[in-house]
Amino acid sequence: MSIPELFKAIQTSDLSRFIGSQNHLFCATAQLFHIAGLILLLASIVLVSLRLLGIGLPNLSLIQLSKATKWLVWTGLGLLTVSGIVIFIPAATNYAPNTFFWSKFILLALALLLHVTLYRKVTASENPNPLIAKATAVMSLTLWFSVAFAGRFIGFF
Amino acid sequence: MSVIEFAQVLYDSELGTALRESIYAFPIVEGLHLIGLAFSFGLLMFIDLRLLGVFLRTVPAQDLLHSLRPWLLGGFLITIATGVLLFIATATKIILLPVFYIKLGLIFLAGINAILFELKWGRNVDAWGTQSVLPTSIKYAGLISLMLWSAVIITGRLIPYLNYE
Repeated sequence: MSIPELFKAIQTSDLSRFIGSQNHLFCATAQLFHIAGLILLLASIVLVSLRLLGIGLPNLSLIQLSKATKWLVWTGLGLLTVSGIVIFIPAATNYAPNTFFWSKFILLALALLLHVTLYRKVTASENPNPLIAKATAVMSLTLWFSVAFAGRFIGFF
Repeated sequence: MSVIEFAQVLYDSELGTALRESIYAFPIVEGLHLIGLAFSFGLLMFIDLRLLGVFLRTVPAQDLLHSLRPWLLGGFLITIATGVLLFIATATKIILLPVFYIKLGLIFLAGINAILFELKWGRNVDAWGTQSVLPTSIKYAGLISLMLWSAVIITGRLIPYLNYE
């Protein structure tokens, strides 16, 4: 089954019909959860990155900071995933030819990969190598902001 | 000049027209509005949660307030500047939506709350910030801030959806 066929099957499924039959504010509610999840995620990354870059929160323990934001990051990702699926299903075929849709998921894969490898390792130690800490923060911010930008672009193209 | 005439002037302005007609300008401004939000509301949310005693409660509140202030104020500047651009580009439509006025009213109230907090508590944070459980009125300021800014974001995100009715 090709991607367009798969997306068409998703869009014509019973679940899709169910979502599509809801009031349009149902879709708006999914968008609200999507932005709530995004803010939890991005704000957490920003908070930790300020510390990694050495431009904020100098007195805070890095380990304490990464522990305190960890559950917010994963709660944010959970909200984004569930609401994202609800937004995607009833309009699946519209997304198939959208370049920004595919860009977003490539960027998301890279951001997640960085997050569970280098980011996790750097934020697990109290005094990481400053250069590696800064490089991690720059890459993490760039990737997550790019995911957000690509997501925002989808609806305009 | 009525509000609607003013909106029409903004909408017809070179800037408004350029923003609408460019393929990339409008989505880029929307993207920046979102990034600004991550810095402004996002970082303020952490301070509010600290005031409520549910986030980093062993960290002195002044460490968060002092250190995050320039970043969250910078975030607010980006959010407001891009918000003005988005308004200019869509003024004649936005101006007719009740939800837009509700959003502005909520921003006004949240701003008042922030100024009152700053005058009463923010300036002498060093006197109370090290307590892990803060005085009730400070907790209320944090809770009100969190609720009002959340409502601002909710009404903002609903704007395109309440357009249909």
